[in-house]
Amino acid sequence: MSENNREIHDVVMVGAGPSSLSAAIYTTREDIDTLLIEKGVIGGLAAITDKIDNYPGFPDGVSGLELSENLRKQAEKFGAKIMLGEVTKITGEGETKRLDTTEGTIYAKTVLLATGTDHRKLGVPGEEEFYGRGVHYCATCDGAFYRDKKLVVVGGGNSAAQESLFLTRYASHIDMLVRSDKMRASDVLINKLQENDKITIHLNTTTDEIVGDNTGVKKVVGTDKIKGQKVEFECDGVFIFVGLNPNTSFLKDSAIELDEAGFIKTNSRLETNVPGVFASGDVRSGATMQIATASGEGATAALMIREYLEN
Amino acid sequence: MSQNITVYTTNSCAYCGMVKRWLDTKGYAYQEINLEEQPERQQEVLEMSGSLSVPVTVVNAANGSKSIAVGYNIGKLASML
Repeated sequence: MSENNREIHDVVMVGAGPSSLSAAIYTTREDIDTLLIEKGVIGGLAAITDKIDNYPGFPDGVSGLELSENLRKQAEKFGAKIMLGEVTKITGEGETKRLDTTEGTIYAKTVLLATGTDHRKLGVPGEEEFYGRGVHYCATCDGAFYRDKKLVVVGGGNSAAQESLFLTRYASHIDMLVRSDKMRASDVLINKLQENDKITIHLNTTTDEIVGDNTGVKKVVGTDKIKGQKVEFECDGVFIFVGLNPNTSFLKDSAIELDEAGFIKTNSRLETNVPGVFASGDVRSGATMQIATASGEGATAALMIREYLEN
Repeated sequence: MSQNITVYTTNSCAYCGMVKRWLDTKGYAYQEINLEEQPERQQEVLEMSGSLSVPVTVVNAANGSKSIAVGYNIGKLASML
């Protein structure tokens, strides 16, 4: 639809991960004009996850890339359009929302914010210096460079566990450094880690510094919190999975309310404090950070958007 | 266009797929070098980009200048082409 010679989409979805792709399947089937804008990977963090074992309907698991591709195809089959670009600002112009993007200005009656999260940096000496030369955040991208090499994985959650298992395809050995006294990963993944001869889990172990020279990373220095002693792990590379940050920096000057950690606040109808702007998936305050719930929230958001547009 | 574009990738790298998709969307031709299938090319990427992290996109312009992008960054890619 156009107004004053400018195209106004029924809904623009910021981000093209499982949540918005699921939402788009619903909106496009209702003949709601739908545009998704993605600055990173279509499929989001799911797309760079080696294997997903807990998404319903896949008894043997599914690769994150395959799931993402199938979601994209399904959304596009029903008419969703995906633009590769970055939204830099969202403002309201009456009932119309204005989105400034790297591809130009876009207008919409409603907006779904589903920008997800990104891996958090560890913030230790050596991390930035050796980024790309031994320090990595994407196992499916860079794991292949460590065939028969020793690795350190930092983190104890599902991402660290899943990606460690993936990295055993290449690495000769992996030391997992877990700060707390137990892992946060699911029991199924912990059991797989413990059964894998290539992986050694070090609980109560902090990561203090990544050390190397002009040829790359040589070791990780940490602290055994129980013994109160410095510990060193010789390695050729470090993969870091220590939590997630919301992708909401582009909202900092907007009227959209965020929680203290930067996640988007919504009510039970997935509405933000700005009428016509909704949020779903991992970027939403209170999200459970699961692909299945992100997809479910996407479907809910689509129904709420339909209702908003009808009124 | 007289520029030459090369994208260095690995098999399961989703960001590599996005660089190729973006180049396809914009109508740029490119050659792909898969570093998992051609590990002997890894050292040249490390020396060229200072990084062994894919995707790496190299643009050799007609005037002989070379620009390199590590990772998938639309703004950076657009400025190189």
